[in-house]
Amino acid sequence: MAKSRHEVLPGTLSLLILKTLDTLGPLHGYGIARRIEQVSGDLLELNQGTIYPALLKLEQLGWIRTKWSVSENNRRAKYYSITRKGQKQLIAEEEDWRRTSAIVTRFLSPSEK
Amino acid sequence: MSRLRTFLFRLRGMFRKRSLEQELADEILSHLQMQTDDLERQGLDPDEARYAALRKFGGVEQVKETYRERRGLPFLEIFLRDLGYGARMLRRSPIISMVAIMSLALGIGANTALFSVVDAVLLKTLSVDAPDRLLVFEWQAGRSFRTTGMSGTSNVNVPADMRGLSLFRYDIFKKMQQRQIDAGVESSLSDLFAFGPIRDLTAKVGDQPEIINGQAVSGNYFAGLKLQPSRGRAITDEDDQPGAAPVVVLSNQYWQERFGANPEVIGQQLLLNKQSFTIIGVTPAAFTGTGQVDYQPSVTIPLAHEPFLQGESSRLGTAGEPGVWWLNLMGRLKPGATYEQARESLNGTFQRAALEAMPQPRKVDQRTPDQLAPKDYPRLLTESGSRGMPDVRKDYAPTIYGLFMVVALVLLIACANLANLLLARAGLRGPEISVRLAVGAGRWRLIRQLLTESLLLSILGGTVGVFFAFWGKNALVALTDKETGLLPSGVELSLNWRVLLFTLAVSILTGFLFGLIPAWRATSLDLTSSLKQSRRATASMSPLSKGLLILQVAVSFILLVGAGLFVKTLSNLQRVNLGFNQDNLLVFRLQPEASGYKNQRLLQFYQQLFARLDQSPGVRSATFARVGLIANENWFNDFLLPGESEETAADHEMMRQMVRENYFATMEIPFLQGRGFTANDDGHSPLVAIVNKTFVDQYFPEQEVLGKHIRFLNGNREVEIVGVVADTKYESQREEIKPLLYTPWQQEGDTIGEMHFLVRTAGEPTALVASVRQLVRDLDNNLPVTQVGTQVARTQATLGKERLYARLLGFFGGLALLLAAIGLFGVLAHSVNQRTKEIGIRMAFGAQVKNVLRLVIWQGMRLVLLGLGVGVLMGYALKRLLESRYFGPRTWQRQLTEQLYGVNLIDPLTLIVIGLLLILVALIACWLPARRAAKVDPLVALRYE
Repeated sequence: MAKSRHEVLPGTLSLLILKTLDTLGPLHGYGIARRIEQVSGDLLELNQGTIYPALLKLEQLGWIRTKWSVSENNRRAKYYSITRKGQKQLIAEEEDWRRTSAIVTRFLSPSEK
Repeated sequence: MSRLRTFLFRLRGMFRKRSLEQELADEILSHLQMQTDDLERQGLDPDEARYAALRKFGGVEQVKETYRERRGLPFLEIFLRDLGYGARMLRRSPIISMVAIMSLALGIGANTALFSVVDAVLLKTLSVDAPDRLLVFEWQAGRSFRTTGMSGTSNVNVPADMRGLSLFRYDIFKKMQQRQIDAGVESSLSDLFAFGPIRDLTAKVGDQPEIINGQAVSGNYFAGLKLQPSRGRAITDEDDQPGAAPVVVLSNQYWQERFGANPEVIGQQLLLNKQSFTIIGVTPAAFTGTGQVDYQPSVTIPLAHEPFLQGESSRLGTAGEPGVWWLNLMGRLKPGATYEQARESLNGTFQRAALEAMPQPRKVDQRTPDQLAPKDYPRLLTESGSRGMPDVRKDYAPTIYGLFMVVALVLLIACANLANLLLARAGLRGPEISVRLAVGAGRWRLIRQLLTESLLLSILGGTVGVFFAFWGKNALVALTDKETGLLPSGVELSLNWRVLLFTLAVSILTGFLFGLIPAWRATSLDLTSSLKQSRRATASMSPLSKGLLILQVAVSFILLVGAGLFVKTLSNLQRVNLGFNQDNLLVFRLQPEASGYKNQRLLQFYQQLFARLDQSPGVRSATFARVGLIANENWFNDFLLPGESEETAADHEMMRQMVRENYFATMEIPFLQGRGFTANDDGHSPLVAIVNKTFVDQYFPEQEVLGKHIRFLNGNREVEIVGVVADTKYESQREEIKPLLYTPWQQEGDTIGEMHFLVRTAGEPTALVASVRQLVRDLDNNLPVTQVGTQVARTQATLGKERLYARLLGFFGGLALLLAAIGLFGVLAHSVNQRTKEIGIRMAFGAQVKNVLRLVIWQGMRLVLLGLGVGVLMGYALKRLLESRYFGPRTWQRQLTEQLYGVNLIDPLTLIVIGLLLILVALIACWLPARRAAKVDPLVALRYE
């Protein structure tokens, strides 16, 4: 176990997708998957396929929308972009995530006896 | 919000499945290509790159499957798939499916039609604001509490030693209302109001007089009901004053029929009993009155103007004369108040007023004390008023519930048929189901699929059933008239949303009822054995299937026996000796008193009419009577025997009749003693009477009756008995003959009013109708001639209920038998199919055709005979139950048994005849498949598998 790889925490995949789209603008599925892998420094074990059901769910909720377009190297691809509703959701989820991780971090850090 | 959005998105996903599927494939393909491109650029060779891309992506099919699940609505999709599958199954055997759907449709249709009656008669609430806060006041008192002068119907649930009444006197109502008003905010009622029916008003619109029904109401009636007229204004307290101008509110129906829904009608005058009333409003169409369920008044007037219409016979009472117990009382509860509070707050006032109004206590027999015991004091009762007055509705409940029970049983038989059919089919599908179970299909999933199929059947059956119900509802309306006791006159049936909801519920319920057990059994196969044995696993009839057949036979037997009992009752009643000759008798009714004829003028009118009638061609003899015969009408009096005084008299009653002197000759009623009436028995001669034989037997046994004097309790008249005639039926064919006293019409003074004419004709009675109408018109063209017909038709009409029972029970019994026969045939045919090989072997070993016939027929008939046995036992149990003390005398179950006449609930002849009929039909149903079994060719059969 030289280098440990982590699975994506349940429920965080949507957050990662939303954040990616918010930062980079419209992107196809492959791009989103690549971006997540890159940012995590290849520490996350991501079956790239799993982002598609997640994207569908986000689309059903109205947080992202889709459009077929042509990629930089001339491949037809489905592009996803974040909606205003999705941005609001992202802000709320980021806030949530920070609070949660802060609490967990405080628990795990050496106590101030 | 987002849930709805997701749902819509998914719903869309279901319908665009193909293009979405393509899109997903494209997307994944483009993903993989981009990845491959990138990897190639990093230096991998193309094959390696494609392989690595696929590995990074994960399982493509898995992703697609997850994606699909999320895209559509799997539950709905499976349901639709099951539905499509079910439809295919139905189409594959169209005849069986048709039979199944039709038998269900008949069952559900009959239930729907009957429920529309239940809904219209028993459930429908008044269409006013918050009807559930309305309550009806009634009262009870000991039997010795006397109430003289009553008009109206009462049917109040009270202990056996009490009398119950839902009628009140005007003065007593006024005192109670005052008490309620005085209580102010303390009162638990927001309003206490009264209404009373006024039957047979002569109304004149244009120049056509007609007889209509009306009602008189207290000034706060509309306010208390919270009822707004659809046009014009309501009657108010100001209208209900003795000095106020007479006003009338029309019912919507009357406004439509007589005024062509003319909006200008407000402000016009309407003549009621020749008095002029100003029309001020029209009630909404949905409101048909608060009175008894069979009474829909066309006009409503304030109570204060009732004396205008009724003149001296006003029911309100005058200074000298007490009023009549006639008014119905209703109250509206304030929010949060209870019936009990309303009752207790008015009970004291009512009791004091009633005791004050009461004449001397009546002697029920010689032991009754002269003083009223406190336990016999009148007490107020309350009942829900949300549906209007309850009394008459209670009379309809037995017939309606009785028939409802019948149609429910028919549906049960249809269900048993369907269950058997599905059991057989499940047997056929055993191999398919076991294969599916073996490859891992969930049991619940399979049950769901089978249930979807049976629900499809039942919903289809229900849909067709609604059409049958529409037809059946009209048939019910056509079958019922005033006397059938199923549908009150004027009540309209509609298949409204409540009824359709009921149909839907029944359809779904039946779908589960006949589908669940077969589905459960079909999926509980023992896999190894059923896979190995394939179709032989279901060769014999399952015990469940047998049980269902036995049940069907038993239930149809009971229904048919019921029908038989009513056919016999009807024929017994039709053969009852009425005591007079009813052939060639034309009857009609006149009500000249409603048009203002009185005393001498009334006498003269009738005399003139008879003078003409007697001369009229085709008339052999014309007479009349006060009470129509065999028409469920009566007139009775209390009286004193010679030597009795009012204070000591025991309770005895007699029926009354007032007739023209030629009545007995015309009706062909034999004289037993004394003389008849003559034209000279008039107001100037001594008062005389003729009695029937039962009168003599009951009050003057073994005594000389001629010359005896008796005294009527009200009116204080004394009459001398001058003759005795043979007994006749009076109210109905069914009744026990009661003491009856006839008086000559010319000695009745002001009690002569409406009369029922009886004209003995030479030929067909109805041929004279036109000339009789003309005769009346010649004398007074404002006088309506009503209830025209023959005596035979009138007599038949009183048997309406029995005829309805006999017809409907016969119809449904026949239907049940047909269904059971179809069921028997189906199960046997299926079983013969399954046993083809066995039968072939038997025949190969030398079995004769007759052996095979016997084998199959006996297989079915054994069940039929068992079913008959069970039916007899169930019938006996039912008889014991109906006759047990578990049901009180006023419950509908008890009343049902009282419908029978001259026949015991267990009538051996009926049992035998019905049993034989059933066996005959069952034999046919068994013989058909048996014949097929006998035609089996052993060679073919043995090669069968």
